[in-house]
Amino acid sequence: MKLRDFILRRLILAIPVVFGVMTMTWFLSYIIGNPVAMYINTNTPASAIPAIRRAHGFDEPLYVQYFLYLSGLFQGDWGISTSTSFRPVTEIILLKFPATIELSMIAMIFAIVLGIPLGILSATHKDQKIDHIMRIFALAGVSMPIFWFALMLKHVLYFQLAIAGLPHLPGGERYTLIRYLSFKYTTGFLLIDSLFFYGDFTLFVDALLHLAMPGFCLGYLTIAIITRMMRSSMLEVLREDYITLARSKGLTERVVIYRHALRNAMIPTVTVIGLAFGSLITGAVLTETIFNWPGLGKWAVRAIFSSDLAAINGFTLLVAFIFVTANLVVDLIYGVLDPRIRFG
Amino acid sequence: MATEELVLKITGLKTNFYTYEGVVLALDGVELFLRRGDTMGLVGETGCGKSVTARSILRLVEPPGKIEEGEIIFFDSDDRSGKITPIDLLQLHPEEMLHVRGKRISIVFQDPATFPNPVFRIGTQIAESVLLHQDLSREVVEMKIGEMRNSLTGDLPEERRSQVVEKIRYYEQQLDEPPEPDDKDKKKAAQIVAEEMLKLVKMPSPSSVMMQYPHELSGGMRQRALIAMALVCNPEILICDEATTALDVTVQAQVLNLLNELKKEIGASIIIITHDMGVVAETCNWVSVMYAGTTVESCATVDLFANPVHPYTAGLLTAVPKLHDTRERFPQIRGTVPNLITPPSGCRFHPRCDYCTEICKKEKPELKEHRPGHWVACHNPLS
Repeated sequence: MKLRDFILRRLILAIPVVFGVMTMTWFLSYIIGNPVAMYINTNTPASAIPAIRRAHGFDEPLYVQYFLYLSGLFQGDWGISTSTSFRPVTEIILLKFPATIELSMIAMIFAIVLGIPLGILSATHKDQKIDHIMRIFALAGVSMPIFWFALMLKHVLYFQLAIAGLPHLPGGERYTLIRYLSFKYTTGFLLIDSLFFYGDFTLFVDALLHLAMPGFCLGYLTIAIITRMMRSSMLEVLREDYITLARSKGLTERVVIYRHALRNAMIPTVTVIGLAFGSLITGAVLTETIFNWPGLGKWAVRAIFSSDLAAINGFTLLVAFIFVTANLVVDLIYGVLDPRIRFG
Repeated sequence: MATEELVLKITGLKTNFYTYEGVVLALDGVELFLRRGDTMGLVGETGCGKSVTARSILRLVEPPGKIEEGEIIFFDSDDRSGKITPIDLLQLHPEEMLHVRGKRISIVFQDPATFPNPVFRIGTQIAESVLLHQDLSREVVEMKIGEMRNSLTGDLPEERRSQVVEKIRYYEQQLDEPPEPDDKDKKKAAQIVAEEMLKLVKMPSPSSVMMQYPHELSGGMRQRALIAMALVCNPEILICDEATTALDVTVQAQVLNLLNELKKEIGASIIIITHDMGVVAETCNWVSVMYAGTTVESCATVDLFANPVHPYTAGLLTAVPKLHDTRERFPQIRGTVPNLITPPSGCRFHPRCDYCTEICKKEKPELKEHRPGHWVACHNPLS
């Protein structure tokens, strides 16, 4: 009962945030330039311009245009992407979103599966050799820009190995195009499609190999952030009185750390994970461009270069939604982890 | 003192803390003994090493602290045969120490606000110790019999009723030699044991408290829960480390009464660490006074209040206000607590002592039996 109220309250609180983002993106895109410019080129006769203006509602007063924009959003009309053969933005998002999500998920799995244990290891072996190695590893992750790291990774694990004729990781795309040319997606998630709809295990492995390098590259920053966060919050929790109490009960060090300390130390870490998930989607812009990944990021980059306002708006809105959702999920996980928050 | 009466004997305990400023000689030869069934008060001012002594007994001193030397002999008595085996806790393998902590010797800490784990239910936290230390096979069988009996009170067809009675008889045969229970039954039985414990510490509405989290309870209730956690495995020794200090006076009285009552119930020997002479007078029959990491005096409570022998104890007692006091100012022990990185030579109390002589500055006094039943560490004892 109380959990349901908690979820409802957080959902209601998310509405003004989403609404604010919608308004902001609209205003900002309006400032950039005349929206009509998007729909004409040098061959458009000048006499046709008023008609175009009218067709898109650009001759209406601002508040009417704002209303039209909002009602369009709610009806699923997010505009036409001029840089992608004039196809509707929603259609392209639906088409490319799974690729980005798949990549981000893999990055997130890398980050959580590696970051949390590494952080714990680092905290429990504070100031020992393993802790120093972890800290260098994490510092490197935080300091290296994604585009540089991605290029280096690709250069070594793909180009150099390929030139040397050694087994190497694929350098781009979601699967080996030559081998599976006519692949038709069902859900859009290649890992799911290949395994459950086609039952093609070699394709599944191929997809995994293609995900490895961009996934790790995108996740490295998050691994580093999670490791550092986990280490510091674990160290803090291990100094708490309830850890002394747990030890005084005669519990083994393992139980003290993994049962009593971990759950408390996860609370601040979860915040970071939630925020990181949002930035993974934006981080994908660079990773996808370098690894030629047919996802939203690559599409957004092209949209920016060709001032495709509708596409940029759509991408911005989507990222905002993901941020809001990720934070909502974080709030919910908080409630599960920490009983003090549930009723607050 | 005859050793068969003792349950704990500490000799020459030294614990140091290695800080950036230098080595803090927190405990320098602590001598303590606790007789079976006694309630001993361990008193002294803040920073004199009472809590470090308690944590040293359980070997819970955390870095940068380290127990350097000494002996902590625990005379463990077997529940069934009553056979007593002395164990030196400082020589135990860390894994064997886990069987002593929480099971044979347990501790109630000072601050009920910070010691329970905030993310687990009270019931879970108490049952955790039960699951860890107790063989619950008998409890599981008893629980099953109880469940069957309960079902008999409802409306049952005659045929079903006889089946249940048959089942009860079957389980009752198992009572003498209960089979190894499965984990799920064990967890349920542990919850029942935990709830019984909550009833014993007089927790209001124990069954709902079982499902509550620490932040939902008041300070007094949390302290009761901590006491329940400490007592649930029937320890030989219970250490209360300033267990009532963080509570307000009325709740303090309740908790002290509870401890007095529980002592009769469970028969544990108790060490009460406090700086409150009132608490000592109220609950303890034996007192050990500590000063700057050493034991200075040890005797029966009545004896201490009537005839303190060590100058420090005497000074301490004159500073305690009495009900019909007419004194304008209370006398104080001159000087301040010494810095334990560079403690005074000889007797650690000598710079503040009115009876100091040359030997006090050079030689550390040993804890000796000054008169029967009254131990003191002083070169020039009073009276």
